[in-house]
Amino acid sequence: MTLPASSSPTPPRGHAFLELGERLRRRGQLDAAATVTAAGLAHYPDLGPAHDLLGRIRADQHDDAAAAAAWAVALECDQGNVGARKGLAFLAFRGGDLAAAERHLEAAVLAAPHDPEVSSALDRVRAATAPPIAGPVLLDDPAGGIMLFDREGMRLIGGVGPDASDEMADAVAAECAAVVRESVRATRLLHLGPWRQVIVEGPDSRSALFPVADDATLLLVRGASTPVGRVVAAGHRATVAARAWLERMT
Amino acid sequence: MTLTAWQQLLDTATSVPGVRGAVLVSIDDGLVIAESAMDILPTAEVAALAAAIVQRTLRVSAAASQRPPRSVRVSGDAGTLMAFVADGPLWLVAVADPAAELGRLRLLLGDVAAALR
Repeated sequence: MTLPASSSPTPPRGHAFLELGERLRRRGQLDAAATVTAAGLAHYPDLGPAHDLLGRIRADQHDDAAAAAAWAVALECDQGNVGARKGLAFLAFRGGDLAAAERHLEAAVLAAPHDPEVSSALDRVRAATAPPIAGPVLLDDPAGGIMLFDREGMRLIGGVGPDASDEMADAVAAECAAVVRESVRATRLLHLGPWRQVIVEGPDSRSALFPVADDATLLLVRGASTPVGRVVAAGHRATVAARAWLERMT
Repeated sequence: MTLTAWQQLLDTATSVPGVRGAVLVSIDDGLVIAESAMDILPTAEVAALAAAIVQRTLRVSAAASQRPPRSVRVSGDAGTLMAFVADGPLWLVAVADPAAELGRLRLLLGDVAAALR
């Protein structure tokens, strides 16, 4: 049996209106669901889950602006409202703002670290933000933020970005070789297996080190706002190019 | 912040699936300040090794004329060592299994490190 949208059912007492509103929403009786939820909110204006429900109803009604407003209120009531975060992420994703979608889902993961639906959604968004298949990696462009150095810390090719001199790149290579030595030692002594990457995040940049050969390591430097996954993906591509370059050199 | 409060936050970090242990380390000397770990994890070694890595990354930042890093992650085939700056010379260091969800863990440990300040 379905309730007609025009019946405007009287909301039950307490928070039970949430269940009824959600049931109506799932049945597609969106006007009735909105009426029930709005009536409940009149009694409980600070109830975050009710604003979250209203957001879902408005989203089902394709009223994205009203949905976003409802979810924003839900977050004002409770910053940890996972439903609101997911909803805002959904709207951002649908609108093509993948960075905003990722931000909301990261916040949702913090609020609900064991929710597989949230982590799965975050994985999907991150996959969507993965770098496109790009052209060849240009190792010999110091401005490209890709540098190859040997185990002694001597720069082989590349640099650490457009604003860095060769002298600075040489100094970074020398210090990075020490990071590699300590990382090799740590992974060996802590039984973490052969080292695969070192990722460093700072306020000015995100960088990563990758083993290319026994005596060569690749450093990739990107801006601080670059997603970590993209840094790693770019590093893997650059590593392949670096191996090919080493083979040509030997 | 009290040692008890530190301990509670370290316990929170260790409760994440895949985390073998979490240690609050003074990177100036590589010593353990507080810890919450499985018995098999050599926390003193973790602290010393992590401190050495962090010290080296600080030198890389200085060489690049950049501000100090906020986190360092060393990954091997059989696990990952993650370090997050907590308060001054104190860093939160955790060791995780390969099966741990590193993306989620990165956010959580960053949050715990911030709470340690």
